[in-house]
Parts: sequence; C-alpha cells; structure tokens
Amino acid sequence: MMRDTIILRVVVKLLLPAILLFALYVQFHGDYGPGGGFQAGVAAAAAIILYGMIFGISAARTVVPQRVLYMLIPLGVLIFAGTGVAGLLLGANFLDYSPLGSTAEAGQHLGILIVELGVFVTVSSSMLAIFYAFGGRAEDALAEEEPTDDGDRKGEIE
Amino acid sequence: MIEILATVNYWVTILLMMGGLYIVVAHGNMIKKLVGLGILQTSVYLLFLSPGKVLGGTAPIISEDFTVYSNPLPHVLILTAIVVGVATLALGMALVVRIHEAYGTIEDDEVHDLELDE
Repeated sequence: MMRDTIILRVVVKLLLPAILLFALYVQFHGDYGPGGGFQAGVAAAAAIILYGMIFGISAARTVVPQRVLYMLIPLGVLIFAGTGVAGLLLGANFLDYSPLGSTAEAGQHLGILIVELGVFVTVSSSMLAIFYAFGGRAEDALAEEEPTDDGDRKGEIE
Repeated sequence: MIEILATVNYWVTILLMMGGLYIVVAHGNMIKKLVGLGILQTSVYLLFLSPGKVLGGTAPIISEDFTVYSNPLPHVLILTAIVVGVATLALGMALVVRIHEAYGTIEDDEVHDLELDE
C-alpha cells in the first residue's frame, strides 16, 4: 500500500470528484449519445477502487460497506426487470417503455433512463465487490489471525 | 501492399489472437495465462467490430445532419462480451488465488508435480 505518499493522496482527493462527475455525465448522456450504464458504472467503481488502493481497503469499506454492495447488486437487476414489468402492467410488451410517459417518446426517454440506472447500480457494485473480494483478502486473513490487532489498524487508517 | 493496408484490422486480429494463444500455451504461470487469455479475447472484439464500420458513416446516433451510420449491432454484442470477459477474468483470478493457497505456487508444472507426489 502506498498510504504514506503525500502526492498520491492529494492527487487522488482532487481526482475523485472529477471521476464521479464524469461517471454521472456518461450515465445521463447515455440515452441520446455515447455512454450508458456499463461505462458509467465502471467509471464510478474506478473512483472508489482508486480511493481503496491509496487509502486502504478498510477506508473504502467505510465509504461503501460490503453489505450495502450485496443489497445494491440485486437492486439494480430489480430496477431493470421492474421497468419491464411496469410496461407489461400498463398494457404494452415487456420492456416496452412507451406507456410510461404522457407521449410515447417521453415514455421511452424515461424508460431507458431508469433501465440505465439499474445497469449502473449493478455494474458499479459488482466491480466493487470483485475488488473487495481480491484486494481485501490479505486484511481479512490478518483480522482472522490476530483479532486483537484490530484496534491498531483502525488508528493507522484515521 | 495496398491490400494488406486495407485489411490491417484483420492482420492485427491474427497477430493478437496467435500471440494470446501462444502465451496461454507456452507459459506455466497462471497469471500470465490469464493475461494471454485477455489478449486473445481482445482480438475477438476487434474481429467483430471491424466489419461493423461503414465507410463514411458516423457513430450510430440519430441526427438530421447525417444519413450514413456505422452498424451498431457489433458494438452491442462486444459490450456484452467485455462484461462477460470481466466476469471470466474474476473467476480465473479467484481460482488462481485458491490454487496458490492450496499448493503455495501458481506454476502449472509445479502444481502437477505436487499432485503426483501425493
């Protein structure tokens, strides 16, 4: 871990809001231009992964806890499928967004936005879950071996 | 010469595919095998994306200024392939981590020897 390198820490703090803002731009620009949930999700996850690489996995785990991730992954799939079922209940085909809005075009605009949001949530939390699973292995093993060491490590992070 | 330049995408595809396959076969280190697999995968992306380009066509976004668009279907297919590639890589890495924990090595032939000794 490169937690003590001051240049990295400062640059990462400056970069994080820019990366997250770019991810949101890609997300909300994705219905009428290049972009969408997959790319935006990976970009948003990259911001947290960068934070975790510089400040330590446990610091990243306090920002985005692992159990929240395990709820977000199915939530994104539910948003995606729920939008499809909503179209079905309003009398159209599965994943036909036209009846969601006042006009067909407004409905399609809204539908694709919600579906992309579902993709964003699932992709970003899956990427983070993979990163935690691999990157957090060493710390997990350490915590299992020496439970008394936990207090010291918390002091180091703060 | 012109023909080679006109089909440069496919030559690069062949180069990447054979290079990736060589790494998978020739290296015993399992992380290097995964890297080779990744390169091989990239060559398939290129192979699929290349015929989707329409000469003079723009990105497939509806606009009144343009009438010729590139074919978006390969892009959608390859977007899915990239996601599957990430999942495959994560699974492969998880296997390598478990193999390292069980045998203490990630070299193919060393794991094989340890298996024979038991």
